[in-house]
Amino acid sequence: MISTHSFRGGTGKSNTTANLATLLAKAGHRVGVIDTDIQSPGIHVVFGFDQTRAKHALNDYLWGRCRIEDAAYDITSHCVGKAHPEGDRPKLFLIPSSLNSGEIARILREGYDVGRLNDGLHDVIDRLRLDYLLIDTHPGVNEETLLSIALSDTLILILRPDSQDFQGTAVTVELARRLEVPELLVVVNKLPDGMDMEMIREQVEGAYRSEVVALLPLNAEMSRLGSGGLFVNRFPDHPFTRGLEGIVRRLLSGRAAG
Amino acid sequence: MERQGNVTQPPENEMDKLLGQMKSATSRLREVLRDLHDRLVTRLDGHIADYIPELATANPQHFGITLCTIDGQIVEAGDYLQQFTIQSVSKPFVFGMALEEHGVDHVLSKVGVEPTGEAFNSIVLDEASNRPFNPMVNAGAIATADLIPGKDYPERVKNLLQTFSNYCGRPVHVDNAVFMSERLTGHRNRAMAHLMRNFGMVSDRFEDSLELYFQQCSIAVTAHDLAVMGATLARGGVNPLTNVKAISAANVKYLLSAMLTCGMYDFAGEWAFRVGLPAKSGVAGGIVVVIPGVAGIGLYSPLLDSKGNSIRGVEACLELSKRFGLHAFEQGFEGPTLRSQLQSSRGRHSQS
Repeated sequence: MISTHSFRGGTGKSNTTANLATLLAKAGHRVGVIDTDIQSPGIHVVFGFDQTRAKHALNDYLWGRCRIEDAAYDITSHCVGKAHPEGDRPKLFLIPSSLNSGEIARILREGYDVGRLNDGLHDVIDRLRLDYLLIDTHPGVNEETLLSIALSDTLILILRPDSQDFQGTAVTVELARRLEVPELLVVVNKLPDGMDMEMIREQVEGAYRSEVVALLPLNAEMSRLGSGGLFVNRFPDHPFTRGLEGIVRRLLSGRAAG
Repeated sequence: MERQGNVTQPPENEMDKLLGQMKSATSRLREVLRDLHDRLVTRLDGHIADYIPELATANPQHFGITLCTIDGQIVEAGDYLQQFTIQSVSKPFVFGMALEEHGVDHVLSKVGVEPTGEAFNSIVLDEASNRPFNPMVNAGAIATADLIPGKDYPERVKNLLQTFSNYCGRPVHVDNAVFMSERLTGHRNRAMAHLMRNFGMVSDRFEDSLELYFQQCSIAVTAHDLAVMGATLARGGVNPLTNVKAISAANVKYLLSAMLTCGMYDFAGEWAFRVGLPAKSGVAGGIVVVIPGVAGIGLYSPLLDSKGNSIRGVEACLELSKRFGLHAFEQGFEGPTLRSQLQSSRGRHSQS
């Protein structure tokens, strides 16, 4: 189980998560992505997933209206390619959160049983036989973020070279330590041209005592794409894609997932 | 200047609570209790107590289980927030009130600590001393209720409820319908009280004490509450959620030993033999179990066996005790410890 988190919005978290999941699947794995950002879901857009197609979402599971696997959609052919449409691997599944404003309001008003979310995350790994489950969380600190950190084998923290991000991420790092996350990886995203990469790396590693796995450039192509598709498919040779591939190699060598 | 996130930082202890909640939600023990619940909830044998109509309305499907550690970590499954009346589970706690107020010598002059082969509601006193056999049978519990301190009846009721509130970590209340039924139909208990008055084992305010006894039995609790009460005893008398002292540490051992030897009606001997933990059951289907220095367990399921103990509750305790080596006299146990089950379930899916 891998959680991606950022303390503030706009760090490119959902884009990074979706592209990482795609690369992991392309490496020949069964991968699930769950959008636990119930308050402001979005990662489905990056996958080009049409929400109107979805009969069930994570919300339905949390209210006991369906099983967790009923809310999982196979997006392999669309996102990974048509290499083995009927094969066992690769596979990419998405469990979206509902975009229905009533559903979002209900979660905010009533809350939900975090234990049930925990059960669902375990069950979906077992029932879809996932090698990796990536959890896209809501920015900042809330219940589903803390739960996913408490469960994850690996936590990927994404931040920009920005002092607000820098300070806020320290809070998440402290919480992650207290929840005893085995592996904490930091991704610095949206680095402008001409910034001293090594200085940033040293600063971040020194401050959080964690490994920086990627320093990703701010790129015009990503902005132009505007979350309208998977970057790694569109720009396979771009330095951003290369950076993500580095993270995937790091994750695969860890084998800490599942 | 953009402002984002809108993150409010709760105070430190609030964050501790939240992190504890997350640790519990992701603990292996949650899986264990969930699995135990799902297997036992299908058992529908046994009967629901029906000596008063209010108890007979219990839902036989209900089954809740909570474990609370001495540092306040809580793991639970099923209908752990379903309310029921505490009934006989109240007895050791009132015995504790009597010990706190009067000291062990005086209390033991009024009630013994011998297990009895007689039924819990038998009208039998020790022939030599005229004492009821122990504080867990009705006669003993009435003698103990007579020792609840306070200048008059209202103050004694207040003290009673305050003590249970301290154990539960929340204000508790009496279920009035059950209380009224208990006092209207409690002829046998009344007879016992009069018999003990005859022998001078209860004071001249024994009629009030009888009312107090009916009140204590009618306190509404949940499996969650019972776990917190058990954890309070497991922690030497200090509530793990509120840090409020409910009883002095010196008296906890007396409660626990009486529970171990007399807590489970006519199953007490085999319970001590197989489960090996101090516990007390009630006729509404509740059981409180104490793992000294570790945790309390609260269980609720209204289907009772022929001895008056909750069937699913007893089964769950037999399994938990065996699986995690919880028996007080366990030695050389090599299986997984309860503490290991309180860790995060992360890594469960890891590939080797």
